[in-house]
Order: sequence, then C-alpha cells, then structure tokens
Amino acid sequence: MTTETTHTTEPQLATDVRGLPSTLEVRNVSHWYGNLVAVNDVSFKLQPGITGLLGPNGAGKSTLLHMMAGFLKPSSGQVEIIDQSTWRNPQLYRNVGLVIERESVYDSLSGYDFVLFNARLHGLPHPHEATRHAIKLVDLEAAAHRTTGDYSKGMKQRIKIAAAIVHDPHVLLLDEPFNGADPGVRVFLMDMLRAWAAEGRTIVFSSHILEEMEQLGENVLVIVAGRLAASGDFRAIRRLMTQRPHTFSIRSSDNLELARALIAANLVSGLDLENGVLIARTKDFGRFTLELPRAARRADIDLTELDPLDESLESVFSYLVEA
Amino acid sequence: MNLYILRITLRQTVGQRRTWVMLLFASVPVILALIFRLAADADENRQFFMDGMDNLVVGLILPLTALVFGTAVLGQELEDGTAVYLLSKPISRWRVVLEKAAAAWITTSVVLVISIGAMALILLAGDAEYRLILAASAALSFGALAYVSLFVCLSIMFSRALIIGVIYVFVWEALITALINNARYFSIREFTEGVGDALVDDSTATFNASLNGTESVILLLAVAAVTIVYASYRLGSFQLGDRT
Repeated sequence: MTTETTHTTEPQLATDVRGLPSTLEVRNVSHWYGNLVAVNDVSFKLQPGITGLLGPNGAGKSTLLHMMAGFLKPSSGQVEIIDQSTWRNPQLYRNVGLVIERESVYDSLSGYDFVLFNARLHGLPHPHEATRHAIKLVDLEAAAHRTTGDYSKGMKQRIKIAAAIVHDPHVLLLDEPFNGADPGVRVFLMDMLRAWAAEGRTIVFSSHILEEMEQLGENVLVIVAGRLAASGDFRAIRRLMTQRPHTFSIRSSDNLELARALIAANLVSGLDLENGVLIARTKDFGRFTLELPRAARRADIDLTELDPLDESLESVFSYLVEA
Repeated sequence: MNLYILRITLRQTVGQRRTWVMLLFASVPVILALIFRLAADADENRQFFMDGMDNLVVGLILPLTALVFGTAVLGQELEDGTAVYLLSKPISRWRVVLEKAAAAWITTSVVLVISIGAMALILLAGDAEYRLILAASAALSFGALAYVSLFVCLSIMFSRALIIGVIYVFVWEALITALINNARYFSIREFTEGVGDALVDDSTATFNASLNGTESVILLLAVAAVTIVYASYRLGSFQLGDRT
C-alpha cells in the first residue's frame, strides 16, 4: 500500500506524515486467560494524536496494548492498525513502533548497536543514519557506545524508545514508557512524544499515574477491570474524578459532638460511627478539609487523627465505573 | 539475505558464560584421551578414539551441547521479553527460526569440532587418519543440525524446554531406544551414528549404527525440516505473557 512504500523508501525521521491514514481501531475486543477476563468487550477508534490508556495495575491496559501490537490474540473481536489486522501480521511493523514495559534489552550490545540492529531488521536503506537520528531524538548520544547492560533504568527506557522509532513509524505503542525515568527525562520524553504527535502520528501510551495523563494525554481511555470505563478529554474525566464523594476516618476527643458540628455546618453527606472512629463522607473535598478544623475548634474538640479512606487510584477508577 | 539475526546471536553467544561452560564440558573427552595416551598402549589409541566418540561425544556431549545452545538462542529471549525486538519487525518468522537455529548449530559444531580435533590430535597424532576425523566431524555436525532444530522448536513451545530435552536425551535416546527396537527410527543419536558409519566407511572404526547411511541422512533432514517449519508456525502465534 502507498503508505508502506513511501515509508520504507523514505526512512528518515521527523518526516511530516500529516494526512496519512493513521488509524487504530479496536472492535468489541475481549481477552481472557482461562476463567479470568482481562479485557471485556472494548471498542474505540483512534486518530493521530496522543492517547493515554489509564487504569490501575491489573486493569487490562497491557493486555489491550499487547493485542494492539499483535502480540496477543483477541479471544473475540478485532484490532486493526491502518486497516490491517494486527494478529499474525509481521508486515504491520513497517508502520508500528512498540515499547514494552519489560526492562530487558540486549545487555551485551552498545546502545548504538542495539538501535542499529533494529534499523537493519527493518531493512532501512541507511541504517546508520537512522540510528544516529533516533539516538539523538532520545538525547542519548553521549552514552550511545556504552553497553546497555551498564545503562540506568531511565537510559534503557530511552534506548528502547530509540529502537522503536528508528524506522519512523506512523503508530507508536508504549507500555508504561515513563517507568524509571527521572523527572528531567520524563519531561524530555513527553516533549518528544508531543512533537511526534504534532507531525500526525498516532501515539498510545499506558500509565497508572494520573499526573502523566494530565501532562500528556490529550485523549484518555480509562480501563478498569478490563472494561472501558471512560473515554475522551482528560480534563472532563479529571473533573468527574475530583467531584466524586470522599470518605475520611476521624478520631477526636468527642466523636458524637464532632458529628453534630459537621452536620450543623453542612459539611458532610453521610456519617457513621464505627469502633470509636467517625467515618465522614463529603462531596466537597476542598471545603471539608478547610472547614473541619474550624468546626472542631468552635465545638472545643481535639482532632487526633484524620485519614482519607479512598484516595487510591483503584477507588477513583471504581467511582468512574459506577458513574 | 543479510543474516543480522545470526550475526548478533553468535556475537551474544560468544560472550556468554554458558559457552565457556560447554567448552569446558567438551574438554572432558580430551582430558580422558590425554590420560589414556600417557597410560595405555599406542595400538589401542584408535579404538579408544572411536569408543570415546561413540559413547561420550555422540551419546552425551553432542546432545547436551545442542540442548544448551538450541534452547537458549531463542528460548531465553522469549522468556526475558527481548524476543519482542526481533518479532516486532517486518520479517518472516521462518527467517527468525532459521537464523537462530543456524547460530545454535554453528556454536554446537564449533565446540564439538574443537573437542574431537583435540582428541584426535592426542590419540591419532602421526597417523594418516584425516579421513576418519573429517568423517566424524561431518557426522557430528549433521547430528547437531537435527538436535538444535528440535531443541529450538521445543524452546518456542515450552518454557521448560531444557528439562524436556534432558528427558529426551537420557530417557528416550539412552533408555527406550535401547529397549525397543523400532524406537531407533525416532532417535537422533541413531541417525548420527548411521551417518558416521557411512562416512567413515571403515570396518575397523565403527559406531555400530543400526540404520544405514541413506536412512539416517533422510531422517536427520526430516527432523530438521519438520521442527523448523513447526517452530516457525508456533513463533508466528507467540503471545506475550503466555509462556507455559
């Protein structure tokens, strides 16, 4: 097809590929391991740009990404990249770059040789040129000739990305790409991915870190327990997340009196008293945390302990599913 | 064909500890030959060479060396995830399997040729036995081809290929083949000995093969071809996180 021909004969990086039919489509895809359903009837269609797969550990993000990359057969449904099925289709990789979560690379090779090996396997006509360019893009030129076995986790992550982009793919799939990267490298990689997306490429990355999504994910797919819980603009999803009810456990010198004070101040939507601990639910996180000490002071009550009970990502995601 | 996979695999293999361990293992018959040369009659050197070849090299060092390299060249990458760098490329799976098996075959053959070369140098020095040495080396390389193909295939199918291979070598080839007559048609060791006898073509130096040369060559090539084709098919369906 035209895109492949153009791509293989022009392997230079930073080519403007705007307008090319870079599309990834997941149709009613499920995957199960024995009795365990890892991905359950997920459908979406992606256009060029950055899309984040967000979800807690074990939600099915990697399973979904592996199916997109052709390294896992969907138990049902279909995954296509640029109108080609991803399963048992090696020619697909002319247009796809993949970064897996596992840290391992060929430890005995230098970073340069590792990327060069990838360039040669892609059959690029100028593998050395493409290798130098990819290594420059991930800012690893100074360490290019060191063996990857001596690399830090962040450097390994960068060399893996260089290997994945050496053939200038239209679609880039990254599984937890910022794991182990220090903040500077993280910002650098995010800028790089943004620039790549701006050239018309489709970039999909998975993460369980909300902040990474906030900084990079223009479009977000929230995966919870194998299902697509939410999708769309990250800001709208974030708003939904912050407006969810919050639960706190409180210990004080007089829990009953404190309960009365909280109800009087209209700070809570529900209260329970369990084993000497006051469980308070509120829909306004900001106001509750601001007003609770004031209400306690007014009622002359000492607060001895305050714990948020539902701040884990899992609880946030569970709320999204219910919403 | 540019053979990058073969070249990189050979480069990695040379630097690995297992290669040096296998070289050490393959030096056992050399050490025994040295002791025999110093202690025994020179007239018996030729017979000792053949006995060592049959019992030690063909029966033990060949299959175990092929097992170690055959299961490692691709199996280790499938285990640690680095195989994804190979498999996420627009190259056919049979090419990956073929180049990986070739790397294991070359490494196994080199280790064996060093071993029997040194043995021959110690036991047959001064004699015009080049034909015998060449024939034995060729037979071993032939046998190594079938062994590594089988073990590469097993490493794609199972994460415990090494254990399955050990069972094949020590239970099937060493035990069952000796007890059940027709089992020899399913033993790479028997095929290797058949090729060895056909190539050596000397009644005073024999592996006592139970199959003739033609049968053995056909069966060795059939094992290599079938296992490579099946390995390529299985590799095409490789799934991340799905190793059993």
